[in-house]
Amino acid sequence: MRWHANTVIGGALMTLVLGTALTAAFWTPFDPLRVNLRARLQPPSSLFWLGTDEFGRDVLSRIMAGAGTSVVMALFTVALAVGVGVVVGCVAGYLRGWTDRVIMAVNDALLAFPGILLALAMMIVLGASKSGLVLALGLAYIPSVVRVVRGTVLSIREKEYIEASRVIGNSELYSMVRHVLPNAMSPVAVLATSMFGWVLLAESALSFLGLGVPPPAPTWGNMLAASRPYMETAAWLSIAPGVCIALTLLGINLLGDSLRDRLDPRMAHG
Amino acid sequence: MTRARRPSRTTMVGLVALLATLAVVAHANAETLLRTRLNADIRSTDPGTNRDANTDGVMAHIVEGLVAFREDTSIGPMLAESWTVSNEGKTYTFRLRQGVKFHNGAVMTVDDVVWSLKRWLDPATQWRCLSEFSASGIARIEQIEAPDAQTVVVRLDQPTALFLPTLARPDCGQTAIIHRDSVGPDGKWIAPIGTGPFKLAAWKRGQYIDLARFDGYAARSEPRNGYTGAKIAEVDRVRFNIIPDSSAAKAGLLSGSLDVINSLAIPDLEDLKSRPDVQLSITPALGLTGILFQTRDPLLKDVRIRRAIALCLDTTQIVDSVMQGTARPNNSALPIGSPFYGEVQAHGYTQNIAEAQKLLAEAGYHGQPIKLIANKRYSFVFDSAVLVQAMAQTVGINIEIEVLDWAAQLDRYNRGDYQSMSFVYSARLDASLSFEMLMGPKASQPRKVWDDPEAQEMLRQSMMTDDAAKRQALFDAMHRRFIEDVPMIVLFNGAELAALRKNVKGYAGWLYPQPRFWGVSIQ
Amino acid sequence: MLGYLARRLAMTIPTLLLVAVAVFTLVRLIPGDPVQVMLGDNADAAQAAQLRAQLGLDEAFPLQFLHWLGKVATGDLGHSITNDLAVLPLILERFQVSAVIVLVAVAAATCIAVPAGLIAAWKQNSALDLAVIGSATLLLSIPSFWLGLLLLLLFGLKLKWLPVIGYVPFSENFWQAAVFMLLPIVTLTVLEIGVLTRMARAASIEVLRLEYVTHARAKGVPEWLVLGRHVLPNAFAPIWTLIGLVLGHLLGGIAVIETVFTLPGLGRLLVDSIFARDYPVVQGCLLFTAVIYVVVNLIVDLCYPLFDPRVVVA
Repeated sequence: MRWHANTVIGGALMTLVLGTALTAAFWTPFDPLRVNLRARLQPPSSLFWLGTDEFGRDVLSRIMAGAGTSVVMALFTVALAVGVGVVVGCVAGYLRGWTDRVIMAVNDALLAFPGILLALAMMIVLGASKSGLVLALGLAYIPSVVRVVRGTVLSIREKEYIEASRVIGNSELYSMVRHVLPNAMSPVAVLATSMFGWVLLAESALSFLGLGVPPPAPTWGNMLAASRPYMETAAWLSIAPGVCIALTLLGINLLGDSLRDRLDPRMAHG
Repeated sequence: MTRARRPSRTTMVGLVALLATLAVVAHANAETLLRTRLNADIRSTDPGTNRDANTDGVMAHIVEGLVAFREDTSIGPMLAESWTVSNEGKTYTFRLRQGVKFHNGAVMTVDDVVWSLKRWLDPATQWRCLSEFSASGIARIEQIEAPDAQTVVVRLDQPTALFLPTLARPDCGQTAIIHRDSVGPDGKWIAPIGTGPFKLAAWKRGQYIDLARFDGYAARSEPRNGYTGAKIAEVDRVRFNIIPDSSAAKAGLLSGSLDVINSLAIPDLEDLKSRPDVQLSITPALGLTGILFQTRDPLLKDVRIRRAIALCLDTTQIVDSVMQGTARPNNSALPIGSPFYGEVQAHGYTQNIAEAQKLLAEAGYHGQPIKLIANKRYSFVFDSAVLVQAMAQTVGINIEIEVLDWAAQLDRYNRGDYQSMSFVYSARLDASLSFEMLMGPKASQPRKVWDDPEAQEMLRQSMMTDDAAKRQALFDAMHRRFIEDVPMIVLFNGAELAALRKNVKGYAGWLYPQPRFWGVSIQ
Repeated sequence: MLGYLARRLAMTIPTLLLVAVAVFTLVRLIPGDPVQVMLGDNADAAQAAQLRAQLGLDEAFPLQFLHWLGKVATGDLGHSITNDLAVLPLILERFQVSAVIVLVAVAAATCIAVPAGLIAAWKQNSALDLAVIGSATLLLSIPSFWLGLLLLLLFGLKLKWLPVIGYVPFSENFWQAAVFMLLPIVTLTVLEIGVLTRMARAASIEVLRLEYVTHARAKGVPEWLVLGRHVLPNAFAPIWTLIGLVLGHLLGGIAVIETVFTLPGLGRLLVDSIFARDYPVVQGCLLFTAVIYVVVNLIVDLCYPLFDPRVVVA
């Protein structure tokens, strides 16, 4: 079945990425931060499997370390966006009335901003750092989560078991948490997997524009951005991080697909 | 119906010959066009007012002033033929050149000079150098007069070594002498009517600026020298294309759609060196890149820690790696190209790890993080920060790099709100100004790194006297104090890098980071 | 219908007002100001103060905001601090560049994605389906600017088939302009094909299950007619929503693609003016982007009845 293929390939890719991130915490072939000016811009060789960058640092080690940083930051960002977004979306969808209108007006205003630019402006305000990046990107994606959650909540709240819950005498909050929330989670889960990918892309786009995770810590994004002046003379510098981002995104998307297929069985059978 | 007669063979041959001749003639009369690049549009065509570096560079081809900078940063005559200084340095008497033409054909007279000078001094013009002639500046101009048709006399209220250098400042439009038709009857700026070798032909906002050769240009007799000497336009037209992205500019040069690109980034050097159809022009520059310290910071106010950082660096290795052989290490506030750079200035910091560790131990440093601000706009600023951090790590100094965008870093610089930062200063054309940009009372000028009243007095004296020997002695003394005190670590002066297509002849870079397109031709 | 339009537009005013306030505040929260950028490392306090006064930056924030809002209401978005150009004409000029790329890319992507998605849904779980969905997923996993850089390297520098820098407006020379726009459009198209194919496939699968399709097949209607007349129009609604979302966002600025291909588009203008702290331009751009987003969403909503007669708009 199709979702088996997705799960297998997606799972394999993500295991590779997470495994690399985990390994990098304990061991990398070289110190990813160690500068070695005598070995600048070396092409891939038996010593440096993926070559060295403009400061003589081993690219493979940096890719591994970058896996860790990128993945952790993306996880935190998604957690922030989902955490806040779910709460706000539930509140808006369940309470309706003026609360809903105000929340959605602010939400729509935020959505009207191109995400990258909101993140860019926030990063300049918060300062370029890992936490600044997480905060900025998280804030940029909250509106999407709010929209999805609110939509689901709206459609669920009228369902019978909610009515039943109210009739029995449960408080609004209890009904919301116990019944509405779990059902809203599946679209959110799918959105979260897509968001993970967007965050990875956004981080590299921000690095490209000049504001990503500050040096010397490597992320795939800032490695890709730094490779631009050397595109012709040292192509391996841009190929490695680009391929990593692409493969990770592919894994995420395939897993996300398989997740959606499992949650919505109609898609799997024809 | 009659059929049209086909043209006879003779007519055909005649037509072809005519077309061929026309083609040859057209080609011979084809305009020579030199295409170069700016990384942003100019701000206006009013020199020295609403301007930035790009604007200055373009305007220097269109307008000229009484005096101008030579290649060795000394002052040479431009529209003035000569001058004398009298009255204890307070009166400057300029003798004007004759027969100089403006772009509109009018001959430059002493009235034009007086009018131009007075216009710059009018606050409504918003001349960048106006504050130099106020109470807080170098001197006040008390009077400008023209006793005869060839002479202009300027009287100052006090002597200063900086009067002529200020007049020659490219960022103040070189105090250009322009024709009064450059402004309208209401005083609003129209277009520059100057005396330069090129005139403004077209300004397509956001796309390009075209300069056309001024055929009536009255050239000086001595050879080209900095912004003075003979400035003969050898191409018909120069087009400054506006291309913000440097990779795109480089690609344009390689594909042949650009002839010259300046201000190359270091990483591009490697690549361009190996190209057969490209030649490089590498000249030392007057900028200054270094690590600034905030001497009021609770941690860094201890000079031992600052000195330890200075001593743990291998400046030669940093400069070689960051600038790839285009610059030399320099720990002095004076640029290597300055006429006052000598034996004393060549003596800076020598790497001494043992000494650095000893100082750190004495100061009781135990690994507290030190924030170093850098930006990505200038690759050498960023790269220097990375290397400084790595080298400091080896003696146990824990530096954390904070990347800000340029505007945010400037803000922190201006307020003095930082522990340390990797920063680049733009060119200063006089040795006193090179020191002045770094030093001053922090209470009123928080951006200054060095607040030392005795050094400040030495600086003041260096600005007042014209005597080269006296000034050298002062600069030497200041340099020794500077190295002792370590308010900052100067790393290098940078280089002006330009790449040209092989068929461009006569281009020469110089100390000041601006291109000169007179004397340049395309084969 | 007109009433509906008027009501919808009226509803967007509070949102736009919120955007205006947010933009104004955010931009001034960012450290550093245009005066410092203009004066560089060579500024003394007096010069800076003079320039600030000249630019009207020394007034209290609420006053500055009201001045700006007042001008916006009359259609005047002010003048750029960096080069004194009028903001609205500048934005419109740049917008044309971005709009061409986005509209052509999305249109091209739709033309490829919809048939591909439809066919993949029709042959669900076959090898063809796997190939289509696999390719689509792969395409949208590629970072767009990386793809752009690679294409530039290949076609611009190595093969020299296409120019690397420059831009010519379509009004000047159609074919030359087209040549400059080709690579960025291709880059964006590739990415959007991935996104749209997946949605087209998902939507088509939904519709293919429905009763009236089974019914039509039972009646003996030829398969291509079933697909073309029954499945496609009904599957198009969600695809259309996605196109609206995509357009709305992309028109806000494809800053990174514009940076890679050095095109004078709206995204680049916004990023450059943020870095230069050119307040009027940043404010103008963001407000303009928000308006476009709202307008696009409105048009998308108005078109639904075309696809699904059951949908009543007003």
